[in-house]
Amino acid sequence: MGINNPVPLAEVDDILRPSADANPLMDRGFAVTSIDALLNWARSGSMWPMTFGLACCAVEMMQAGAARYDLDRFGVIFRPSPRQSDVMIVAGTLTNKMAPAFRKVYDQMSNPKWVISMGSCANGGGYYHYAYSVTRGCDRVVPVDVYVPGCPPNAEALIYGILQLQAKIRRESTIAR
Amino acid sequence: MNETAKAISDRFTERFGDHVTVGATLAGITTLDVGVDDWQEVCRALRDDDDFCFDQLTDLCGVDYLGYGLSEWETDDASQEGFSRGVEALGPGRFKWSERPEAGNVQQRFAVVAHLLSYRHNQRLRLRCFAPDEGLPVVPTLVDIWSSANWYEREAFDMFGIVFEGHPDLRRILTDYGFTGHPFRKDFPLIGNVEVRYDEQKGRVVYEPVSIEPRVTVPRVLREDSRYKTDDVDLAADAQAEEAAAQGADDNG
Repeated sequence: MGINNPVPLAEVDDILRPSADANPLMDRGFAVTSIDALLNWARSGSMWPMTFGLACCAVEMMQAGAARYDLDRFGVIFRPSPRQSDVMIVAGTLTNKMAPAFRKVYDQMSNPKWVISMGSCANGGGYYHYAYSVTRGCDRVVPVDVYVPGCPPNAEALIYGILQLQAKIRRESTIAR
Repeated sequence: MNETAKAISDRFTERFGDHVTVGATLAGITTLDVGVDDWQEVCRALRDDDDFCFDQLTDLCGVDYLGYGLSEWETDDASQEGFSRGVEALGPGRFKWSERPEAGNVQQRFAVVAHLLSYRHNQRLRLRCFAPDEGLPVVPTLVDIWSSANWYEREAFDMFGIVFEGHPDLRRILTDYGFTGHPFRKDFPLIGNVEVRYDEQKGRVVYEPVSIEPRVTVPRVLREDSRYKTDDVDLAADAQAEEAAAQGADDNG
């Protein structure tokens, strides 16, 4: 009983997979790719989020990072410092009092940087939309890449959001314009 | 807690006489109403007297009695409609800011409520003290008696604007820096006065007047819903009713 990780239907597609039939890297010791693809592969495979837990969503974020769902598998390793982070997961209610500090933390992150807005409160104020002290969505303060709906979104939903952001990063082009 | 409520009330009356009014006892906690002039004196006696020994102040908060007793959500008579009794039977409640209760018609608007705990006697006590002036409610501080009152009194000051005379550091504790108003007052607009936004030109978070209309979310109760008509019996009854209605219409026509 309980939740089980699904059994993989096939082997994971990875250019470093040693048992591949026609893996150029393993066969001939080199591979040809574009710099953009390589950058995107590296960036999407090591998204280090700034830990920005503000309310109950943070508990779901912790669960996503803990043993069962284990965000480390995706190269997502929580950092306590904006200088070391690529992604900020805004998990919870952003209040007016917090907004300047929140923007400061965002400004301190080095480029390229992305923002995941997690939960109703961060998406648009949610339950506190008509309250006197809550910012009506964290997109009033920083640009947001992925919105994860829910109140709070469960750990799977957050992971889905992170995968969506991975897909978004893979479509970016840094060199070729 | 094996002492009866009567015995407890007698002890307080015996000790403090006219200085306190013994109120109701709820869940084993008696309420004492204390005048603002006796507030510190009574509290000190409650802490130091061997009969009471209330060593700990577990809670202190403010109350705004503006509009007290004027019910927005009359829920005394429960009905089969469940929650809709509150939104249909007696009007929608106060959803308009213009219909808010106005200050000035209340005798005693602000009160401070404190909860005490005595370890020695395994007893709890609730104290209430009305502030005499609604314009500038001033109540003596309890920080000298219980140091835990410090942040509670700052919170009551922040939320209700009750000034605690003699408090060593009375400033806002919860609301935003530079906040104006006291949000837990009944005449404070729930929507507030300002909202924040990041300004690209200025490169910082700016405050602006609120741009949206205030609203109270009213839960919608949907009962005439197709989901409730899945039974064959219901469907048959509906078909019959429709037939009867059609016949009735024919007869009249």
